[in-house]
Amino acid sequence: MIVEALAEFLTLGELGGVIVNGLAKSALYVMIASGLTLIFGLMGVLNFAHGSLTMVGAYLGGLLMVVTVTGGTAPLTRLGLFFVAIVVVFALLTMLGGAIETTIIRPLYDRPPIYQILLTFGLTLVIEEVVRIVLGVYGLQPLSDWQAALATKPQFLREPVALGPVSVGWMSLFQILLGTITVVGIWAFLTKTRYGLYIRAGSEDAEMASALGIDVRQVFTVVFALGIGLAGAAGTLLMWDPTWGASVPLAAETLLPAFIVVIVGGLGTFRGTVVAALVVGMADAVTTWWFQNVIEFTGLPEIVLFLVLVVTLIVRPQGLFGVEEVGGH
Amino acid sequence: MSLLELGGVHTYYGDSHILEGVDLSVEEGEVVALAGRNGVGKTTTLRTILQLTPPREGSITFRDESLVGLETHEVATRGLGWIPEDRRMFSQLSVEENLRAAIPDPDDVSDGLQLAFDSFPILEERRGQDAGTLSGGQQQMLAIARGLVGDNDLLLVDEPSEGLAPQIVADVAEALSKASEEVTMLLVEQNLPLALDLADRFYILDKGRVVDDGETAAVTADDERFRRYLSA
Repeated sequence: MIVEALAEFLTLGELGGVIVNGLAKSALYVMIASGLTLIFGLMGVLNFAHGSLTMVGAYLGGLLMVVTVTGGTAPLTRLGLFFVAIVVVFALLTMLGGAIETTIIRPLYDRPPIYQILLTFGLTLVIEEVVRIVLGVYGLQPLSDWQAALATKPQFLREPVALGPVSVGWMSLFQILLGTITVVGIWAFLTKTRYGLYIRAGSEDAEMASALGIDVRQVFTVVFALGIGLAGAAGTLLMWDPTWGASVPLAAETLLPAFIVVIVGGLGTFRGTVVAALVVGMADAVTTWWFQNVIEFTGLPEIVLFLVLVVTLIVRPQGLFGVEEVGGH
Repeated sequence: MSLLELGGVHTYYGDSHILEGVDLSVEEGEVVALAGRNGVGKTTTLRTILQLTPPREGSITFRDESLVGLETHEVATRGLGWIPEDRRMFSQLSVEENLRAAIPDPDDVSDGLQLAFDSFPILEERRGQDAGTLSGGQQQMLAIARGLVGDNDLLLVDEPSEGLAPQIVADVAEALSKASEEVTMLLVEQNLPLALDLADRFYILDKGRVVDDGETAAVTADDERFRRYLSA
């Protein structure tokens, strides 16, 4: 049976589908985790509110789509509105991130890390309760996906497309596109801009960077703000994905894989996060195929994530591209 | 008016009283050596000037402007550069990126890089190499170059010969000597012949205080004053 299944798995149609699905999952993971890794890489702050802010991004993106899209809105217009929504959510969450960093994170830089962990964890509780209250006012169920937001997705993104012998979903290709844009955008920002250079210098040695005239505190604010903006943009994309959707539990559902990807990649390295997202996404897609087609087992995705995490921590505790120490104030 | 002036500076690490009323001055164009045994507060003096370890008491003025209370990056933008004890390269950045990070004005990047490469041709050969993979001597040259391209009026140089082979020390001394033609320096150095060779004046620190000072032209490394305060 295994040999037959392996033969089927290795056919171009099946293998191609698994690879595209893996890349789509990787794209989502990299979008969820990149803000977290930027913030930890430079600032050494483990932001436990990251998932909550992803959830806020999902609701804000959903809100923008629900108020602008009607039943008669053309598919390409919906797509255009979605890109506008991502940009708007990114901008709003970036501003929110800047405000959070300057008002409540900054005073704790000289304290032990546990203060930041407790603070951001507390922030998670506050954000989730506020969202629950707002949803209650509008009669929305916080534990279920927001179906009205999901319904703004154009029909063609729900359909498969044939790439030769490989049948894949348009949504997967869309996610791969957005994940690629995110990775290229962050990479270009970090390596091709003066501010990116300051970020990389500050993440290695904040004290030396400030002695060169770099305002490291301002760099911290920008990085934290951008990290939260990325979390919001990721949330908007997840709002259209039926396996995630806009709901309050999205906060916890995204925080866990984000931390796993960041730890597997090596705390604070963007390159590591990208590679780890590929590893985790592909492992998830491959094993999902096997458990769906050969052995029926539904609790798989979380197990695979944890398996990759455990193996990495045993074989290479600092992660794939990890350095011994990161961050600093 | 001195370029840099410290008056009655007291600095602490927690409860430890490190600088106990340091007074010193640096005039424009000179090289001043700060000597003393390990642990007497030489590096702390430089860190205090940069406000990395701010003083609890005393005054620090640069071009007659107080530096006390400023952020370190604000001190740096006033024209003070730091070449720290252990070089402190951004090891994962290339040689060129290390230099770019030190050039304050984006419009001056080409000129700054040219200045660094003219001063240290080896850095041009290694411009794309990660700084962490350079040899100790090359890292020291990059550290000095980083100070030079920063458009600084005063360089605070901390133990530039530490951990380097004698031949490399000679290269570094030559580089510092050349740099001193362009920029004023406050130099912390345990290698007395090197310090006396480069410096116009010296201060000797002991137990967080200046205990002696004078012109270097009239003294030698085995001068009684040095032997008293620098012998282990």
